Amino acid sequence: MNKKIIFWVLLGGMALPACAFDFGDLQKTLKSVQKIQQEVKQATEDVSEPKEIELGGGIASNLLGAAPLLQNKPVQRYVNSIGRWLASQTERPDLPWQFGVLDDNDVNAFASPGGYVLITKGLLSHMKSEAELAGVLAHEISHVLRKHHLQAIKKGARTGLMAEFAGQAMKQKGANPDLLKLVNAGTELYARGLDKDDEFEADRMGVVIAARGGYDPYGLPAVLQTLQGLNKQDSSLALMFKTHPALEDRLSLLDRLMSGRFDSFESQPDLAARFKTVMDRAR
Amino acid sequence: MRLMQLMFAASLGMASSLALAGETAYTVRPVELKAKPFADADTLANLAEKSGVEVVARQGSWNQVKANGATGWVKMLSLRFGDGTQKKTGDSGLGALFNVASTGSSGSTTTTGVRGLSEEKLRNPHPDPQALQQLGDLAASQAEAQQFAKSGNLSAAQMDYLPAPAKRGKEDE
Repeated sequence: MNKKIIFWVLLGGMALPACAFDFGDLQKTLKSVQKIQQEVKQATEDVSEPKEIELGGGIASNLLGAAPLLQNKPVQRYVNSIGRWLASQTERPDLPWQFGVLDDNDVNAFASPGGYVLITKGLLSHMKSEAELAGVLAHEISHVLRKHHLQAIKKGARTGLMAEFAGQAMKQKGANPDLLKLVNAGTELYARGLDKDDEFEADRMGVVIAARGGYDPYGLPAVLQTLQGLNKQDSSLALMFKTHPALEDRLSLLDRLMSGRFDSFESQPDLAARFKTVMDRAR
Repeated sequence: MRLMQLMFAASLGMASSLALAGETAYTVRPVELKAKPFADADTLANLAEKSGVEVVARQGSWNQVKANGATGWVKMLSLRFGDGTQKKTGDSGLGALFNVASTGSSGSTTTTGVRGLSEEKLRNPHPDPQALQQLGDLAASQAEAQQFAKSGNLSAAQMDYLPAPAKRGKEDE
């Protein structure tokens, strides 16, 4: 693949002077050189899955540095079981999926490249059923599936940085400055948020993944509805509100989207009783 | 009445009806108040757009509500929580509030009282590799997840992802 690209680049280079006086051909050649350059860029910037996981792990480590894990194994295992089951219904079932509850009263959830999903105790405390938790986890899983954060980091990073990182050997000795830069840029992203369309896409996919997992698919909209009913001045909601589209818009989208399409999944269980049992133990 | 519905739902093995703490909500379009959470159930009343209701419970895509002295069911996504007087819940007010808060804490990463997940900490991160290790130790295998699903009577279903809807302006105008 790479050899082929190099061949065409060389050929493009050689062809250039040969037809320099034919303006039409020159334009054509320049265009094809540009195209080849794009292909080279694409090829080198495609981050391998191990690299994606390495980057995501670094970001997850930073998030855990900002808020500790809830020290409650039954709750953590419960969330991991739901998450892994949902992820198994997707196109990336074999990522090393890891889910965690952060011991923090802020209302938020985070996904990091490669299969890391973190949700705060604050958000969990507003939920009423396993289907609601599944809906939120499925939303976060969708960010990983579509590599939303990876794309955003790539977009924001210095030109070539991602390509350099992608081309480096795994597990270099000592600190990797490129990795560190990308990890910290990736962490800062959670203070700014993704594109709105990425969030809408994750909502759209999340309800489907919850349905695939056998859950009542209305868990995610139910959580959004609950959040809409909270006091909007509450500081525990501030970062989540700042980094996500308005709840009104997310609910309107799900309203239009889900209408008529989820009737056959309507009666799937929400497992409210199992959720309550685990959460009661946590308190 | 509610008990009957719960029993009915239970008899069909359906999703349970989740009690809500009497949330205030309003309709975003005219809706029929149904006697049961089914489209072909009897219509108890017609609610106009922006009717105030009190949400009692949820079952699947339906919310049980009290409206004008009657109790019935409406599609949950025809409701928005709150009293409907607030403008869109966009970023304006909250963003401004948050900026004030983060300005107050800027210049120090260790100010007491700063929330764990403050913007500050995300902009000046400190990794916790030990916690990351612990996170990995808590992960569930696919086999464990399958067993977990089975114990909850969850069975996998087939469904394709949904296409992005047409941009709003085109459809509504």
